[in-house]
Formats: sequence, C-alpha cells, structure tokens
Amino acid sequence: MKVEIRLTGSLHGEILRDLARPHPFAAERVGFVFGRVGTLAAEGRLVLLNRYHSIPDDQYVDDPAVGARIGSDAITGAMQAVYHGRPAREGVFHIHVHPHRGETGMSGVDARETPKMMPGFQSVGRETAHGIIILSLDHGAGWVWLPGRKEPVAAGTVSVIGKPLGVFEKGGRR
Amino acid sequence: MSKERFSRQSFLGPDSDQRIARCTIGVPGLGGGGSHVIQQLAHVGFQDYVIYDGDIVEESNLNRLVGAKSIDVPAETPKLHIAKMMILGLQPQARIRGFGGRWQENPELLRECQIVIGCVDSYQGRHELEVACRRYMMHYIDIGMDVHGQNPPVIGGQVILSSPGNLCMRCVGFLTDQKIAEEAARYGKAGPRPQVVWPNGVLASTAVGLAVDIVTGWTRRALPYAYLVYDGNLGTVKESVTLRNFKITACPHYSGIDVGDPILMEL
Repeated sequence: MKVEIRLTGSLHGEILRDLARPHPFAAERVGFVFGRVGTLAAEGRLVLLNRYHSIPDDQYVDDPAVGARIGSDAITGAMQAVYHGRPAREGVFHIHVHPHRGETGMSGVDARETPKMMPGFQSVGRETAHGIIILSLDHGAGWVWLPGRKEPVAAGTVSVIGKPLGVFEKGGRR
Repeated sequence: MSKERFSRQSFLGPDSDQRIARCTIGVPGLGGGGSHVIQQLAHVGFQDYVIYDGDIVEESNLNRLVGAKSIDVPAETPKLHIAKMMILGLQPQARIRGFGGRWQENPELLRECQIVIGCVDSYQGRHELEVACRRYMMHYIDIGMDVHGQNPPVIGGQVILSSPGNLCMRCVGFLTDQKIAEEAARYGKAGPRPQVVWPNGVLASTAVGLAVDIVTGWTRRALPYAYLVYDGNLGTVKESVTLRNFKITACPHYSGIDVGDPILMEL
C-alpha cells in the first residue's frame, strides 16, 4: 500500500530547531509529532503532520548506551494526547534527526527500540496511523503503522510543503 | 534527461532539475489558462502530472487553446488529450495521471500533488480547490482573467499563491462570500465570458514562475503568499494594492490543525 507523509515548511523548521538544541545529558533529542490521515487513490494513505510536541528535558533518562532515551512520562504524555485526539483520529509519530545529509534510515537502535512504542499508541488510538519519522539535514524517511497493522509501511515520500519545496523520496525513486 | 536540455536554466540551482522532476503538480482545467500552464511546466521539466478536464475542443476554443489545431474540432478531441500530447512531446518519460472530468469526481488523485495550479472559471471552483489544498497540504496557485465593460473593455486578471499555514484567498480579499453568492445567483444567465490568448499567457507564465520558485527556491526570497494583479490594458503585473498596509499575519479562515479526511461524528 502506498503511504506518503506531508508537513508544512514551518512545522519542519520548528521540529529541526527544537531537535537541534543541546540537552543537559542526552546526546540527541527526540520528539513527537501528531498527524491525521487522508485518503489517496488506490487506497493509499497520506499522513498529514500538523503539530509538534517537544519533550521536556526532565523526561529524558540518562542512558549513555543510546543517543537519547525518554522515560515513561514522555510516552504516557504522548499516549494521553492520542487518547484525547481520538475524535479527530490524530496519531502520533516519534521523530528525531540523524545529523548527516542525504537519505536516512533506521539505525539498529531505532529498529529495535522505537517500534516497541507502537502497540501502546495503537491501543489508545485504534482508528488512526502512528509511526516513526527520521529526518536528516536535507532528507527524511518515515514508517507508518496503519490501523490494525502490526508491521509498518515505509513511506514513499516525505514532503515538506514550504519554500523551497522538499520532496524526499525513499530509495531515490524518481 | 540530458544535461544539455536544461543548460540554460542552471541558474535555478545545481539540483534544480531533480527538484522539479520530483514535484507532483496538478492542473485542474486545461482550457485557455491551463493549456499555457501545461506547456510551460513541460518545457521547464516537470515530470509528474495530475490533470483534469472533461471538455472537448470546440471552435470557440481555437483562439486561445495552446496545442489545439483546427482538426481537433471535428475530431472532438478531448482537451485532456491535447495536454497529454503537449507534455509527452516535450517530456516523453513524464508520468501523467489524467482524468476526463472535474477534479471533484476524483479528488484522491489531486491529493498526490505538492503544488496545484488552478485554472478554473468560477469563484466557487476556486474556493473548493483552496479548501482541498489546505486540507491536504498543497501549495495552491490560482490564475484567472476577465474582461469588463465596453468603452473601452478592460482586461484584468490575477495570480494568487495560497500556501498551507499562510494567508489565503479570503485573507487577501480576493474571495468573499458575497462574490460566491452573486456568482451563484447569476448561474445560467450569463453567456460565454470573453477570453483571449495573451492575458492567459501572461498569467500562466507568472504562475509557472511562482511554482518554479517554490520548488527550487532560486530567488532566495520568502514567499508566504502572493497576490499579483494583471492589467491587460496597461500590460502590467503588480502586487495587489489591497496588500498595502496589510495587517493580517495569520490566516483566520483555515486552521493548520484541521487536515486530512473530514471525520463525521454522531451527535
């Protein structure tokens, strides 16, 4: 199934600025971005990200083994936001930056740790999509868990609707 | 695509060819304005199109429909076909998703676009396109022309950029409930509206220029919105005077939160 992700240039800028801030002890920052779903042709899905939630410094856990680890308060907060956003079918996406240029993907830690959050998000927001988004300095990639699905669908594109326009394609497809 | 093909537009940026090729662009309406737009998009190098028009070429179209020939009238050639041939003649590898009808009959296709250039005739049609573009996060560029009066006739037109999170066509004063209501009241009473080729060309060129700037960022200027007014008698395109002393900085008409498919709730 075709899945695309889209956000405005201003939201993209807000996310990059927040995630670039140094943290007192974590090597990097992570955040949550919320979004709703639109229907594309051939039953494709368009994830439209509409607001960002910055994770407070004190909700990180000091774990030198990983770039950033967030505590249960942060995850519970995201789950509560999904719960309250159920009437609008708002889903949540874990987001962070890999500080390099070009296409990016999940690291070993990302692939092992981040999907563990999805069952919890799906339990409070069954009718919408959740997932993971990783931005690089000039690209982006996303994995979307659609309602009722246990496995993610990799987004074909992440588009930043700003100026200049960013259309980040998976696998360098045209 | 050879490097030579775009060598004269390399000032748009080192990766501008790829940026343009990656953008999916929509053009609802392939008549006088849309046919110009399509021709220029294909020349510039756009590769991915979503286009709509359900009409066939008629005799009265031949004064302005770019790409149409006299033989297309008896052949009843669809305007969609004219547009496809225009694109493929310049970009043989282009991906074209065309629909022979109104975009509202197949709205899911349009949502795949990052930019939509609306070439529709009515205020209501513009309103509906802008609503869709806001809901599914697409840049919307509107073009339109009209001829008023007789002594002498006055040609006017506009090019408006309405981007998600920024000012909309209502904010800049172009679209109002009154205009939409008056248009609805006139429905069926007015004859064919005057249309000529050169104003469409000016407006289409201006719209394509905005689209290329959005995609490549070559002017390096912020472009949150645009409202450009064409005076066809003077031959000028200027920023609308309504933007002078403009006080609105945030759009009160469209929430950036209300995106995606509308959700129906039982009360």
